[in-house]
Amino acid sequence: MSSNNVPETFSIPVGPLHVALEEPMYFKIDVQGETVTHVDINAGHVHRGIEYLTTKRTMYQNVVLTERICSLCSNSHPQTFAMAAEQIAGIEVPERGIYLRVVADELKRVASHLFNTALLVHLTGYETYFMHMMQVREICQDTIESIFGNRQDIGAMCIGGVRYDLDEKSIAYILSQLDRIEPEVHDIIKTYKSNGSILRRTKGVGVLTHADAIATGVVGPVARASGVDYDVRREAPYAAYDRLPLVVHGATDGDVWSRAMVRLQETLTSIDLLRVCLRDLPGGAVNINDRPDIPPGQAIARCEAPRGEVLYYLRTNDTPQPERVKWRVPTFMNWDAVCFMMQGAKVADIAIIVNSIDPCLSCTER
Amino acid sequence: MNFLSLFARNLKSGPQVEAFPFGPAFTPDRLRGRIVFNADHCEGCRICERVCPANAIRFAKTPDGMTFDCWHNTCVFCGNCEFYCPTDAIHQTNDWNLAHTQAEKFDMVEHGLIPNQKCVECGATALNTAPMVKNAKPPLSETEYAEVRARCPKCRAKYLKNRKVPS
Repeated sequence: MSSNNVPETFSIPVGPLHVALEEPMYFKIDVQGETVTHVDINAGHVHRGIEYLTTKRTMYQNVVLTERICSLCSNSHPQTFAMAAEQIAGIEVPERGIYLRVVADELKRVASHLFNTALLVHLTGYETYFMHMMQVREICQDTIESIFGNRQDIGAMCIGGVRYDLDEKSIAYILSQLDRIEPEVHDIIKTYKSNGSILRRTKGVGVLTHADAIATGVVGPVARASGVDYDVRREAPYAAYDRLPLVVHGATDGDVWSRAMVRLQETLTSIDLLRVCLRDLPGGAVNINDRPDIPPGQAIARCEAPRGEVLYYLRTNDTPQPERVKWRVPTFMNWDAVCFMMQGAKVADIAIIVNSIDPCLSCTER
Repeated sequence: MNFLSLFARNLKSGPQVEAFPFGPAFTPDRLRGRIVFNADHCEGCRICERVCPANAIRFAKTPDGMTFDCWHNTCVFCGNCEFYCPTDAIHQTNDWNLAHTQAEKFDMVEHGLIPNQKCVECGATALNTAPMVKNAKPPLSETEYAEVRARCPKCRAKYLKNRKVPS
């Protein structure tokens, strides 16, 4: 405190390491006493030049490369890339293939949402519950590993369909695992609604108003928690989503707690979607069983990653390599909103607010 | 579930971590691990080399035939090679144990050789690859397959063309 009792103004660095996730993002934050007055975001620490690399690899190699952009949305990237390529080449994915795409997508969504909400509990200081939530997520990770062969890079997508197939045994296995996860998620929601230490740290913190949400163009659970009722799976259905009972969850408060609740409710919806998919799974081929050349052309495809809308622009030419691949990831839209969320926030809440947009920097900075 | 009942459950079910290396590690059957190559089934189409995103797979022509090398330290275990292989000559096993000393790093290679042979018909030297007869109708019998395999590509085409197809 200065002599006349007005808090002094400081500029503090937050990051680049260990803000919320172990990913580098640098915030220069001006504070007055304990209160944030201005936020500067400095990005680019994990730029790896993947957009350039995609133009040096063939279309079929790129399905694997795009999968490795990010670990938590590692299914959405190759799926959107494949959708763009299929659009150019006019490939029709077999019916069983599009259902299996939803299965892969939703399993990853469950894992991703549970990871983010677990981290939020960790940041509020409730370590024991963090461990418990990660253990619940581990059920989902074990399922993913057993079905796809890898915990993160699941390798489910290929141009023209999917690479994996499910038999009776694996369907029964997924269903039994879902039966284990579902009651746990219900318990987690109950804890989120009643636990004092979670509520005190997250309710009314990092508010993004509906008007600000529109102005910053946020996507995904961040937008839905601020009352923007938008989900690509419903607005522009891809894969089998037009045939599934999709429920889009929303909230109006726009605070950290609402965003976590939207994610947890979406987890339950994903479990429902998985059950319907596995029940209605049609027979037939899972992919086109061919490796056609992709003709010259351009296409845009988008899908709903766990963090929000991911959009791919793909331009091909006569060579096997694409001429340009450009993607816009949800975190790119969401992190500008962090500046609005942090206005008037306390220094101690910075990490919680950053985590609440579920930042994925390896996607954004590729 | 309140904290106490969670505590009681965890106490009963024991630690969740695996006992590895003192016990077995969770390894699903479908785990995508070390690559194995079966030269006997290889058609020599080299599609695996083209779809491998990490360029871990290399074919090379040697005096003995065509060699196949997959460098495990370069491989990203994506499984593209197995997926696009037309004859199941490449497989991903669920063996994930690839730790090795620095001295062994150049030995972490899956090696295979498609040997040369003398064509039984014209005597030319050609690779003893598995013949591309997946779409042959009617399917080849075992003797026919061996006869096709013993020939060079040109004589294989001739053999298949002159094959008597019962109508």
